[in-house]
This record gives sequence, structure tokens and C-alpha cells, in this order.
Amino acid sequence: MSIVAENINLTVDGETYLRNVSFELPNEDFFIIVGRTKAGKTTLLRLLAGLEEIDSGSLTLDGDDLTKMPPWERKVGMVYQQFINYPHLNNFENIAFPLRRAGLPEDKIAEAVNKVAAVLGVEEFLEKLPSELSGGQQQRIALARALVKDSKLLILDEPLVNLDYKLREQLREEFKNIFNDQRERLVIYSTTEPAEAMELNGTVIVMHEGEIIQIGAAEEVYNRPANTRVAEVFNDPPMNLVRGVVEGNRIHLNQDVIMALPAHLQNLAAGRYTFGIRAADINLKPDAYAAEVQLGEINGSETILHIKLGDISLVTEQEGVHQYDLGASASVDFDLNQLYVFDNNGDLLFSPATNSSFEKAMQDQEKDN
Amino acid sequence: MFTKYKLLFLLPGLLVLMAIILFPLGFTIRVSFSSWDVIQPGLDWIGGNNYARMIADSRFWEALQRLSFISVASVLAQYVLGFSLALMVWNQVRMKRFIRVLFLIPMMTTPVIMSVIWRTVFHESLGPANDLMNLIGIGPVAWLSTETMALVSVLIVEIWQWTPFMFLLLLAGLLSLPKEPFLAAAIDGAGPIRTFFNVTFPMMSAISVGAIIIRLIEASKIMDTVYVLTSGGPGSATETSSYYIYIRGLRDFQIGYSAALSITYLVIMIIALTVIAKVLSRLVTEK
Amino acid sequence: MNSSGYKIFKFVFLAFWASFVVAPFLWALTTSFKTINGVTSGATYIPWVDYEPSLDGWRNVLGTGSQGINVIEPFISSAYVTIGASALSLVLGTFVAYGLSRFKYRAGFIRNGDITFFFISQRIMPPVVLSIPFFLMLQQLGLLDSIFGLILVYIALLMPIAVWVMVDFFNNIPKEIDEMAMLDGCSPLQTFLRVILPNAKPGLVVAGLFCVIFGWNDFFFAFTLTFTETQLLPVAIVSLNSSATPWWSLSASALISIAPLIFVAVLVEKYLDRGNLAGAVK
Repeated sequence: MSIVAENINLTVDGETYLRNVSFELPNEDFFIIVGRTKAGKTTLLRLLAGLEEIDSGSLTLDGDDLTKMPPWERKVGMVYQQFINYPHLNNFENIAFPLRRAGLPEDKIAEAVNKVAAVLGVEEFLEKLPSELSGGQQQRIALARALVKDSKLLILDEPLVNLDYKLREQLREEFKNIFNDQRERLVIYSTTEPAEAMELNGTVIVMHEGEIIQIGAAEEVYNRPANTRVAEVFNDPPMNLVRGVVEGNRIHLNQDVIMALPAHLQNLAAGRYTFGIRAADINLKPDAYAAEVQLGEINGSETILHIKLGDISLVTEQEGVHQYDLGASASVDFDLNQLYVFDNNGDLLFSPATNSSFEKAMQDQEKDN
Repeated sequence: MFTKYKLLFLLPGLLVLMAIILFPLGFTIRVSFSSWDVIQPGLDWIGGNNYARMIADSRFWEALQRLSFISVASVLAQYVLGFSLALMVWNQVRMKRFIRVLFLIPMMTTPVIMSVIWRTVFHESLGPANDLMNLIGIGPVAWLSTETMALVSVLIVEIWQWTPFMFLLLLAGLLSLPKEPFLAAAIDGAGPIRTFFNVTFPMMSAISVGAIIIRLIEASKIMDTVYVLTSGGPGSATETSSYYIYIRGLRDFQIGYSAALSITYLVIMIIALTVIAKVLSRLVTEK
Repeated sequence: MNSSGYKIFKFVFLAFWASFVVAPFLWALTTSFKTINGVTSGATYIPWVDYEPSLDGWRNVLGTGSQGINVIEPFISSAYVTIGASALSLVLGTFVAYGLSRFKYRAGFIRNGDITFFFISQRIMPPVVLSIPFFLMLQQLGLLDSIFGLILVYIALLMPIAVWVMVDFFNNIPKEIDEMAMLDGCSPLQTFLRVILPNAKPGLVVAGLFCVIFGWNDFFFAFTLTFTETQLLPVAIVSLNSSATPWWSLSASALISIAPLIFVAVLVEKYLDRGNLAGAVK
């Protein structure tokens, strides 16, 4: 069984939501759609649920046209970013609702509801109304209702985005375990945060402006972003992209920032390219390239500095808390072994030889938690 | 896949309403070009004769002028009174619910029934209205038998009946206002009058326009009150358009002519109310 | 403006208005207990002091007095028409409102907003414009002077009110709840009946009460479309008014006609809380 999309286009009131979207999803896997706000993630998910109709293209399930199948026949479970439950039903009836619609006997319903409630730790709230619960608890009820039914497809559209940071971390950890146990159905999860995608450990679908721009394992997408847009979307802060020229074994970013070609780029011919480097791979180091600090923000245990090297704007990420005044001067160096090269169409040419950076990013993530 | 359901929800109601409204409306338009009356019922074609007769019918145009006056005067009075009452009850803590229910009651009661009661109130020798006039030294007033006072009586009853509607909407509006602008005004040391004109009134302008337009629409149909209170009199001093059309149509049975009057009246009302709504909305957005 | 001066002014103004509001009711109440002596000697107010009270007026209108005036039958007819028309309008109007709130309609240049406007704009139609075709239409259908005919006409009067209140109400219920219900196996009709309606009770109550008020209060159509077989309460009382009915009977019948509305007013007030109305008008 697989869901196949071919060249799907979807436009509402002149605004394009999906553009030439094609993919093939197997019946049991865990996918994570990553993209910025308005990248088309929600539209794609709603399309799979049967809540949107397409303008052109085809969507099939095992060769059968899925666009003609209304949502109430699709067996889809969905969790929204808002906490959506039935306000007039208590939490037990909320979770039991799809089972009652499917006509299950009373004892089977009670058994299934209690089982899923135990998994999500909401047994004690079953007699209450959704409005009597906190946001996190309401979202657990919504997830329980999506999990309890015999659905072929489980959709989670930024389910954690409206929760506070601490709760988000906790639920993300739980989700990871639940979804990795759910391999008998297709689970699709969407998020704006690359870190979340990496932690959830599924197959990543990167979307940008209504298009799918890369599909692959999280590690693969992180280490080998297919093009500059993936490099921007799948890194937070976005990967720095600078146009430059290679001439005589040297990279010229501008007349002052000139560096030698690192080992993994020895085969790079002379010409114009776009170079990419992650914020974490630009380090403060005395007696290197002179830069001017434009803006400094503290983000948890890291400091994000927006700097300028002449006409080149860059973002760096430094461990620890540093105070910089606006306009202060700094000196930075590049970890050239982590340099990416894209051609003039933005497609990836060379990526760093060592694959250590993904492991390092994951470790950083753990440390933050 | 939703088409079936889309139509299931909309069509029954839409078709029923179209059958009840559009068909009769179309019929009225057709009848207005006929000479249908009590002697010769039936749909003949007399072209625009009814409309030509209407243009020369000063009683119709006077009724329209009178209706405009009654509508505008009563709605303005209702607005000022309703706004004042809403402002006073707004910050009232004690007995708020009771006051609100009490002030609400007139708009819920049947206009014709209240007019029956008001008629006894305005009775020149036996009613309490003149008792009150004597008490405050004005002396007896010929409430329903002189032209001016009959108009005043109609206005009093309209104001009594519909000020509660303004009060209710404007109070709801006041209660939904954000608190911050008032705090800011208080910090600036603005007094109650300046706060009202600089803060409260501008924020209430949208809902004010809405309430005034709804009331003007309802007031443009005035007929029940007049029918019971004064029967349009003395003479035709309180005759409104609806009432005059009713007399021509269902009393004199000049069906064709009254249809022409009806259509003209409807068109004038739609144009006038649209223009008023546009002008008022523009005033609000310019502020 | 000093604050104690304003307080006194406010108290006087509110007291004045409250007296103005209740005055006609109190007058009708006291008049309903009068006899000929209490009326013809000029305005009198307080029973036992100004006049000797009697229950003649109430006995007359309830059909047990010496005069054969009866408002019970018109009361029942009014109730039938009002409740019947309100119920049908509410059902039709709620379906329409849900459709307009949840689906996109298009036919030529017509969109949802235009359809909603078509419904609500019916309030601008003066009853007199439709009176003649209604008269002829009901005559053709043999429904003139019947309860059923009036119910039909009142639907045109009341359905726009139901649509107006309910569209606004449904728009405030998140669409995602409907979608969730559909994904849980409900067709749009089941979604509406099982999930949305149970959550729309306050809106239904307000819309229903508005329909009842406007239906009960209509005079014009009842007056022009019924004659002898069917008589609604306002028409019955107005016809008492024009004949030589004593004031005490007239007042008692007026109070009977208004009593249910006072009850409705108290109910409505409970539901008309903040924002609810303000949002609908803007």
C-alpha cells in the first residue's frame, strides 16, 4: 500500500498553496514535514485528510483515486495545533467518539479508551470536560482520540506549537516513543523546527513555498541539503549563504575575505559559487577576520550574533552568554572543513567530508534539554 | 464530494424564502401596471398610468415626508436616550441585571397592544397623561385630536418602545470595549466629558451606525402604532406611507394603484437606507 | 461636572426612565381592576383609595363574565402560529446558516456574502408591499383566514432573523471541530446534528426567542390575512379597542397578551451577554 501524489497544484483565491507536489509514501513509516510558516505543510496534510480539494494532479491510494473519497471514509486520525476537542462531551466520550461512530460494542470501547488513556496518562481526567483541562492535557485527549481508532494515516499538524517550552520537550519525548511503536500505520508530523524533526527521528520532507524540496532521512538532509533553500529551512538559524569566486585555489568572498580551499574542495574548479556555512561553524577567534556586530541575541545557553564583514552579512552562534554592544568589533574565523558549495542554480555540489556535524548537533540538542 | 451536502443545507431555506418573497414581489410589479380594482379585478395592461397618477398624488408624497420625519426624529431621540442610559448603567454595579431586564421590556412587547394601552393613557379627560399635565401646571393637552400633538404622541410611543433596543446594543458595545484607552485617558488627566468625546464615542461609532441603521430600517415600516393610536389622523396628520398604501390597497381595493405605490415606496426606502448607511459608515471610517 | 452632582443627576434620570417604562403597564394593571365608576370620574390610580376594585374585567376576557369577550381562543391561535412558524424558521434558518458558515457557494457573481445579504435584507421589506400578493396567493391556495396560511407567511418574516443570529453564532465555533468530526466518521449532516447543534444551544435559544417575539408581535399580516375563522390575539384586542369595550376588559386582555413576552424578556436577558450582540451588529 502506498499513497502516490503526482504534480498536485492547489490554489485558493489566486494564492498558491501547493505547486507541482509529487511524492510516494509507503504505508508504514514516520514522516516529518519541515518548513517555515506558510510553506504548504498544513495544506498538504489537509489534502491527505480529504479536507482540501486539488486543482490539478492526482492523488491515489494503491492506484485508487483518493480525491473522490470524502474525509469521513478515509480512516484518518488528525491532531491540530489548536487543541480541538468536542466541547459538549466529556473526555471519555471525546476519545470514544470515533469508536462509537464505527459502531463498536460498549465493552470494546471502554477497553480501548482506557488503554490509550493509560498510554497518554489521562486516566484521571476522563470524567471531566475538555475545557476543565490545561492545554497540554487537552492536546493529550486529542492525540488519544486520533490514536484510539483504527486509522491508516495519523496526521499531526504542529501539535506542540501552542504549548510552553517545558511541556513541549516532555511531550516530544513521549511522542517519539509512541510513534516509533506505531509502525503499522503511516504517521505524518509537521513542524517548523528542524531540531524537532531531528529529534523525532523519522524521514524528513522539506517544504518551501508550496513545493517539496527534499525527502530523506534527517541525518541525510542535515548533512547533504539538496539545495540552498533546504540549507536555509533545515537549519536554525538558517545556514549562512555567501556568493563567492574561486580563483587559483582560493575562495574570494569579497576583497578582504579570502581563504584557501579546504581539503574536501580540492576538486572545485575556478568560477562563481554560493558557499554555505552553519552559524555554529563561524567562531570568535582573535586575529582572524575583522567583523562588526550588528545585533546580539541570547538564546538559551547560546549567543546569536549578527555580524558584518564588509558587505557580507553573517549569523554566528557562540556557546555561552556573551555581551556585545551594537557596532562593537569582533574577530571571527571559519571552520572551513564544514563549508558547503552550491552551484549558481543553488544545487549542492560539495558537502563536508566528515559527517560529525549531525552527531554534534544532536548532542547539542540533548544538552539543551 | 461536498456538493450534495452544500445544497442540502442551503436549498430548502433559500427556495422557501424565494417562493414566499420573490414570487409575490414579481407579482406586485406586474400588478402595478394593471388597473386591477374592486370593480374590475384582473391583470390587464395599462402601462405606467398608475405611476403617472402617483406622481400627482400629493397625499402619498406627504405621507413619505411624514414617515421620514417620524423615522429620523424618533431614531435620533432613541439613540441619544439609549446612549445616555447605557452610559449610566455601564458602570452601575448594584441592580444592574434588574435594570437591564426592566429597560428591555418595552421592545419585547407587542406594539399594537401597547398602543391600545397608550390610547387610554392619552385620553383627554380620563387618561393619566393630562392628569400629569395638570399637576405640573401645563393644563390639559389635546393629545390625539390636534395635528401636532398627535404626531408628538406617535413619537412618544415610538421612543418608549424602541429606546430599549438602542440601550441594549449600545450597552453591549460599551461592555465589549477594551480597558486600556480609558486608563490612558485617566493618566492624561482627561475629565469625564473629554474622555467621552475622545475615547468612548469614537470607539462606539461602528456599533452606533449599526444600531441606527437597524432602527431606521424597522422605523421605515411604521404602521401598527399609527393605525391603533390615531388611525392616521386627525385628517391625515399622522399617516405614514405603509398606512396610506394599506388604505388604497386593502381598504379601497385599488390593487393596481397600491401596487405601484408599494414598489415606489420599496425602491425609495432601499435607496435612502443604502445612502444613509454608506454616508454614516464613511463618517465612521474617516474618524 | 462634580461627581456627587452627576450621581444625583444619574439617579434622577434612571428613576425617571424606569417610571416612564413601567407607567403604561401599571396604568393597564390598575385599570383592569376598575369598574365604570373608576373610569368615568377621571384618571384614578390606587385601588381601595381612588376606586373600588373588581375582577369584572378579568372575568370578561376569560369568558366567565357577563360580557362574552373571549381572548383564550385567540391566545391559543397566536401560540400555534408563533410556535409553528418559529420552529419551522429555526430549522430552515439553522440549516441555511450552517451552510453559509461552513461551505463556499458560488453561482455566477453570487457568493456567500450575497446569499447572506439576501436573507437578512428581507427585514427591509415593508409588510404592506407583500400584503396584496400574499392575500391573492393564500386565496388561490385556499389558505386565507387559516393558521397554516399565516405560518407560511410568518416564515418569511422570521427565517431571516434565525439566519442572522445563527450565521454569526456558527462563525464563532471553530471549523476544526467540524473537520475533526468528519475525520472521526461523520458525514457533514451527522457532523451538524451530532456535534455542532449540541454546541449551539445558546445561539438556538436566542434565535428562537427572537422568532417568538417577532412572531407574537406581528399585527399586520394577521390583520390583513385572517377574518373570522382564525383570529390572533393582537387582532382580537385591536378589534375590541375599536368597539365599545370597557377599559377594564381591554386592559386585562392587553396584559394577558403581554405576559408571555415579559417572561421571554427575562429569558433573553440571560443570554444577551457581552460581545454576543455587539459582534452581530458591527
